[in-house]
Amino acid sequence: MVNSPAKLKDRAVKGAVNNLRKDKRVEAINLALIANELDVTLEVLKNYYSSTEDIFLKAQKKDWDSLHRYWDKRIEKAKTPGDYKEAFEFFFERFVETLSDDADLMLEMSCYLPACIKYRERNKKKVKKKFFSLIKKGWPGKEDKVLKRQTELITIVFYGFIDHVVHIKKAERIKLLSDFRNMVNLQLQDRKFF
Amino acid sequence: MDKKTENKVKIINKTFESVKRDNKSIENVSLEEVAKELSMPLEELTSFFLTVEDIYLNEQLRNNRRIERYLESGLSKIKTANDAKALFENSIRVYVESLEDYADAVLAATFYIPKCLEERNRMKAYLKKTFKTIIKKGWPGKIETVLDRQTDLCVLSFYGLYEYCARANKKERKDIAEDFINMLNLHLQDRLFF
Repeated sequence: MVNSPAKLKDRAVKGAVNNLRKDKRVEAINLALIANELDVTLEVLKNYYSSTEDIFLKAQKKDWDSLHRYWDKRIEKAKTPGDYKEAFEFFFERFVETLSDDADLMLEMSCYLPACIKYRERNKKKVKKKFFSLIKKGWPGKEDKVLKRQTELITIVFYGFIDHVVHIKKAERIKLLSDFRNMVNLQLQDRKFF
Repeated sequence: MDKKTENKVKIINKTFESVKRDNKSIENVSLEEVAKELSMPLEELTSFFLTVEDIYLNEQLRNNRRIERYLESGLSKIKTANDAKALFENSIRVYVESLEDYADAVLAATFYIPKCLEERNRMKAYLKKTFKTIIKKGWPGKIETVLDRQTDLCVLSFYGLYEYCARANKKERKDIAEDFINMLNLHLQDRLFF
């Protein structure tokens, strides 16, 4: 079978996920097994991945890079507080819309494999930085200290939201997203904060 | 502390010290290695734990049981709405304060090790049921669907807080817990919810 690099990478991710779904432990999945299932040589697969952990890490990065690209485009166009609020909310919408069917397993790996945990922490800082900037511009007038504390809280609840949303059905995700956004908005409307 | 408990604690601490020191994933820690570091016969160690996974599960259960005991005891004493509110707030403080320094390692395991994942799901269902009872008593007058939706948001936020605290130092944990409690209070004061 002829595989373009992009297709082969997608199939490798799918292969790793399918093995996990078959009740295999991640430690029991190796590149040789995946290469065999994909009908390619181990050397070919090694051109793209160094280990099973690397497959999950690169898939995690790919999803987030795509999300950040879309989000950045929205942020770049924003001019008014209303635009910044929209860019803030757009992120949550886009995040939920683009969750894959295997988002639950991808989350488990991102919280378990050391390289994925490191990336997750780095990315969390990146997300938090953007939240901070958007909250500052979308809900102007907050003191810096309040802004920092509220940003921290929003980041915390967003990561709790991720953990919850990946484990529910698609139709329920939209309802939860709506409630979640309302909760976040209520919190951010509190200008002086306690 | 009796000798048996003391040895059990030593095993737990040494295991997590090893995990954190070398940034290891679970499969790279062995009971043999822990026994060697403790100068303890392997037979003695295995009288407490048969696998490294058992050590992780033990820690997870210990944390969960502590908060469950606190909630059950509090629930049996509730007389007024204020009692319920105080129980809700204090349970969050108790949970955060009782997290060990190696809570991040335990958290990672709860996302993946089958027994830990099962316990995580059980605890989440328990918290949902218990928080709902407490919220109903502490913030009376909410209709059932609102109560369910607000409880879901509280539970998912709680897991976001857990993830944050597992990686934060004690001072940061304490500070964020107070902001977090205020945020949930604001959310729960909204009687009709959107």
